[in-house]
Parts: sequence; structure tokens; C-alpha cells
Amino acid sequence: MKELWKGNHAIAEAAMRAGCMFYAGYPITPQTEVGEYLSGRMPELGRKFIQAENEMAACYMLQGAGSTGMRCMTSSSGPGFALKQEAIGYLCSNWIPTVFVNVIRWGPGLGSLDSAQTDYFQATRGGGNGDYRLPVFAPNSIQETIDLMYEAWDMAEKYRNPVMILSEAALGQMMEAVEFPEFKEGPKQSEMDWVWDGVGDRHSFNHGTPLYVDKPRRVREKIETMQENEQRWESYLVEDADYVCVAYGLPSRTTREAVDQLRAEGIKVGLIRPIMVWPFPFKAFAEIKKDVKGIISIETTDAGQVVEDVALATKKMVDGNVPVYGLYTAQKVVRPSEAVAFIKRVIAGEEKEVF
Amino acid sequence: MEIIFAGFGGQGVLTSGLITAEMALSAGKNVTWMPAYGPSMRGGKAYSVVKFSDGVIGGPDYDTPDVVVAMNGPSLEFADCLKDGGLLIVNTDAVDTVPDYNGRIDVVEVACTTLAESVKNIKAANIVSIGAIIKARQIFDIEDAKVALKDYFVSHGKGKFAEANEAALMAGFECVK
Repeated sequence: MKELWKGNHAIAEAAMRAGCMFYAGYPITPQTEVGEYLSGRMPELGRKFIQAENEMAACYMLQGAGSTGMRCMTSSSGPGFALKQEAIGYLCSNWIPTVFVNVIRWGPGLGSLDSAQTDYFQATRGGGNGDYRLPVFAPNSIQETIDLMYEAWDMAEKYRNPVMILSEAALGQMMEAVEFPEFKEGPKQSEMDWVWDGVGDRHSFNHGTPLYVDKPRRVREKIETMQENEQRWESYLVEDADYVCVAYGLPSRTTREAVDQLRAEGIKVGLIRPIMVWPFPFKAFAEIKKDVKGIISIETTDAGQVVEDVALATKKMVDGNVPVYGLYTAQKVVRPSEAVAFIKRVIAGEEKEVF
Repeated sequence: MEIIFAGFGGQGVLTSGLITAEMALSAGKNVTWMPAYGPSMRGGKAYSVVKFSDGVIGGPDYDTPDVVVAMNGPSLEFADCLKDGGLLIVNTDAVDTVPDYNGRIDVVEVACTTLAESVKNIKAANIVSIGAIIKARQIFDIEDAKVALKDYFVSHGKGKFAEANEAALMAGFECVK
């Protein structure tokens, strides 16, 4: 039977169902309920919860837990999540599977508690040093948040890489009716060929070829494999669309309403919704018809971030120099009426293309 | 169906939204509930938005609501975004003058606090407003709504208030002609 759950609580319970054994984090609005819930739930399940002294310490606790093969996670928002960037670099460098949850609030700096997608570049380009990528899941409902949390560790372990769940303030705070999957466990330590468990010849990390051997090539191959295999999206009325919108997370839901309203008026508009924002779903653009008139990124940023990936995907996958537009609604998820008005202005030639 | 419960922090506008969301869920609908409030616990603007439908629900925030409950004066600003023919419930205990909307919307005046007091449950002014909506718009069967209301408080460990809360719901329901 479905029950009403708050997004942040659902993230926490889904992590438990997925076999997360260790959480370390530091409170910050609008994701504090993740840690609050786990502080009670994890001891109840015989698992380990730590409120760390700060965000950085939490990540290095993950480095410890993750290197033993334990399923572990942290969560934060805004400037708190910014503090985790250095450690994400180390975890990527050391190929340690971990799960990061960012319930985005509007930034930069202290920013505000408003719902936003302003950490898109940080998530997809990386805020730490060096050349690394994280698979980034971008759910648009609480049920999908649960479903993606449930498989996050499977992907992290598959690639030996941290992965990220990109939520947003309103998605963390709102409630929807959901169902949870059954509890599952991660792989046993003895089944993993790289963990540090201090037993026999497994007392050192990384059995087999050391990580530093031929590292640039192996990193590149890993990133290319993830790009090839993990693109994930939902297409809505794209095939015959003269204008195709691209939106992820909550804006994808209001944009879909706008698409329905415009279709009812006979205007052929479609929607591509990235479910993973890295790797960006370039393949979704293959379905766009040849004489499409424009691609429109709709996002909760100030000056446009997703639009850059939309432009790259358009250049690679769509013939001709198709214009790419951007509607940026900063601290407010776009309203359907706002999206409808913008798309009509694009059609009327009253909006200037970004790319 | 899109409903905004608006007031100042402490008037129970998040809770009235949540209860309505539970009623919609028990009626088999898809539901979203979204809270919006500032950093302060009491005072300051607060509202919650409930949407329910048999179909897919878009964003959780309001766009053009069907119903607005204004528990205080400043909340009347939400009336401007109501659909034509939409319903505005005004808590006359905390609103001095009700503007003239020239028939664009239906206005129902409910003395939420006075009615809550009359059933000896002064904290339940927010629940009174739910009863008024149910009567004015027939969004739920009132008997089913009573069950959902009771379940909500029982599941939150507050079952002892079930009877008093049902009285508040009915006070709101019966005050609408």
C-alpha cells in the first residue's frame, strides 16, 4: 500500500533498503531530514550513523568505509556540498564506490533555501581538481528518487566510482505517495577483488594491477564506458515535435504540463527528460526529426548551465545549425504558464537563441 | 484539484494541507504536498500546496489553484491567481475586510477560530477550513474524510484528539450553506 513520504525521508529509507551500512554527514537545510531520519533508523537496524564534525571529515570517513567494500553514503546541500569536492576527487582517484546525495539549494555561497538546479555544473563537471566524472542520477519524483537510490550502489561498485543523486530543495521537502522495495544486501567482502579487509593476502588495497599503472588510459576508458552504457532518459512526444524542450528534475514535470497545453492547441512540442545528467543522454537527441525548428532548455538556474549540454548534444546529434534556447527561472521551478509563454515567444521569433 | 492553505506560521497551514493530502490518498488519488515557509517557526508567511488527480501530477507548487484558504489578511494575495470560478475560503477571525472580487470567484467566509472554539478545540481552526472546502466543493465523501482524519492523528500518536478534531471538521462542514 502506498504511503505519503517526504522526499528527504524517502532518500534515507531507500538507502537502508539498498544495503547502506554507514552514513556520515553534517546537517544543513534543506536536507537535514536525511541525517535526522538515519540517526534513529540506522542504530535500529544495527548500522552505523555518524554526525561528523564537518562535511570534509564525513567524506574521509566514507573513504575508510568504502575502501573496505562497505556500502556508505553522505548527503548535504549548498555550501556544505561544496566542501565535499576535494574528497570526491580523492574517492575518484582511489576508485572507491560511494554515494553522494545533493539536495540542491540556490547558490552560490550561502545562497538561499529556495529550490534550484544551480549545482548542475558542480555535479556534472566536478568541483574538485583533476579529470574525473561521476554518474549523476536526477530523479523527478519521490518514487523515482527511491528507485534510483536503490540501484546507486550497484552502479558505484560496477565502475568503482562515486555516484551522485541530484535532488533539489522542493523535491526533498515535498511529499508523495510511494512504495519501497524489499531490503537487499551489497556484495560480500570476500566476493570483491579490490577491498582492504586485512585478511590473508587481502591486507592491501587493489589486488592485481596497482591503480597508478597506466592510470590516464584506464580513467579515460572508464569514463568512455560509462558514457556509452549509462545514458538514461525519458522521451515525451519527441518524434514529430517542431520544438523539443529539455528539462530534468522538477522543471521536467511542469514543462511536461506545458507540452500538454501546447499540444492541445495543436502546437507540436516534445520533451526530453534526462534521468541521468552525467552521462548526458546524447542518444535521446537521435530521435529528433530532421527539420526541427528549435531546442529549448528549461532549468532552475540563473544564467544557464544545462543549456550547454543541450547545445553539445544538438551539435553532435541533430543535422543543421538548429538554434538552442534557454529559459532560466533561478529560485523558482518554472510554472507551466511561464513555460508556455516562453515557448510561444520562441515560435514567434521573439527570443534570441543562446547557441 | 489544486489547493493552497495560506496563513502565518503557527496557524497549522502545513498540517491542514497534509491532512487533505492523506484524505486524497485514501480516496485513491495521486497526490503531492509541498510546504513553503521562512526560517521562523511562528509568525511569517507560510503556505502549503496540495494537488491531487487521477492522472499524472506536474510540479508540486501552485500555478492556478482551484481553492485558496486564507487564514489571515496577507494570504488574500493568493486569491489573485485562483481560476475563474475558484473558491476562496476566508478566515474572518483574522481577516478584517474581504475584498470585492466582482463575482470572478466564489468567496466563503468562515470564522475558523470561533467555530473551533465552539467545539472546544481552539487549536483546530485549520481543520475547520478543511470541512468547509469539502462541503463547498464536494472533493471527498465526508464519512471517508472523517476516517482519514482519524487515521492521520492515530498514526501520529495523537489518537486521543480524534473526536475533538472530527467535531472541528464537522463545524466547518456544517457552516457552509
